Amino acid sequence: MDGVVDELGLVQENAFLSVFIPATSKAFVFRVKSRVNRGFESFHYGPLPLPATLPLPSYVGGTILVPANGVMPATAYTDTGLSFPLSGAFDETDMWYVPKEWGDRLFHVKTQVTPGWLRVDLQIPKGVSQRRFQREKVSLGLEKLFGYSRGSAEAIHFPNIHYGYRFGNDSNLSVYTGVDFTYGEYVVEIPKDSELIFNILTRRAPSYWLTMPISVYDASIKRAFTETYGIEGFTVYPVTKRSEAISEYNTLLKEVKV
Amino acid sequence: MAREILTLKGESDGTSTSGDFPLYSDLLYHDSAPYTPPTKVLIPYGMKAKIWAKRIAAEAETLFQIYWSKDATVTSPTWELLDSQKLASKGELALEKRRPTVIRSLTGKEGFKASWSQPTASKAYIELEAEITDEE
Repeated sequence: MDGVVDELGLVQENAFLSVFIPATSKAFVFRVKSRVNRGFESFHYGPLPLPATLPLPSYVGGTILVPANGVMPATAYTDTGLSFPLSGAFDETDMWYVPKEWGDRLFHVKTQVTPGWLRVDLQIPKGVSQRRFQREKVSLGLEKLFGYSRGSAEAIHFPNIHYGYRFGNDSNLSVYTGVDFTYGEYVVEIPKDSELIFNILTRRAPSYWLTMPISVYDASIKRAFTETYGIEGFTVYPVTKRSEAISEYNTLLKEVKV
Repeated sequence: MAREILTLKGESDGTSTSGDFPLYSDLLYHDSAPYTPPTKVLIPYGMKAKIWAKRIAAEAETLFQIYWSKDATVTSPTWELLDSQKLASKGELALEKRRPTVIRSLTGKEGFKASWSQPTASKAYIELEAEITDEE
């Protein structure tokens, strides 16, 4: 990863970022033209946006009310994903949301929650669980035995999609919470050279790869991609299918908006 | 890898000759009923509790004990003794561990508690540095 990411794990200027979508087996390739928040990537957001009296489901059954702002009750979890409000943001209810017209902006967000044992998963879009086992056979997530991480999450926030962050506390301790973001606000473009895209997606050219937790291709995700970028990503071909890939990429590049 | 270190502080009531310490920490919420300080810690599923340090103090002879249970979720868990220290008289003791006391949550039901026992009731204090982690 020399030269691709910095010590924060964020993509360096003029390096490439590949965002893989498992549901489509396609990936977006971006060149990071600049990171506009270089030098101030850390943001201590504060407590989780859990308002007092919000009812939450419990791992042991029933419902528990949030006892005070930002407190995660014992054995409780958020059923619907949370957004992070920020005064003055484009959408003040969701600081990571930008519209499709801002397709040259991409947020690379690393979320760290305190306490670190809290379960974390992502809904993309908000309300749509993305964790599955054996195709669609078993739904996963933080209310299940697996299908979540603890304490942290990493995501690329695409424009025109609201994400939902879910948190779960499977201890008997009701806890004050805190959220720390390490983020990059990237100005990006999709490279227009199909050969370069092929080399990146066959991992012959360096790039930071991030696989998004998108196993369910919701219609709103498809719409967001096509409205923002003009395409749904580049098919990831094996290295032996170069000519097929280049041909497809050349066709797609005529549609690219960013 | 997830980890959180809690400084858990407990204080006996000074009137009972034995009991479980109510636990306080900067992260623990207990400001309003029914949210009282917990007397046990249930370890999240698949994680471990590592007790790295124990600081104890008392006004008189006190036995400090740490117990764990395979199922701390039931109303009356079966507790097993894990660790024991005795102050023979008024005093204090700080124990730092190179290797921590480890309690694993294999089922999501395991937990631990800290207790005091005294021949004559007096104030006793305990402070635990407990890490909750999924690291080895």
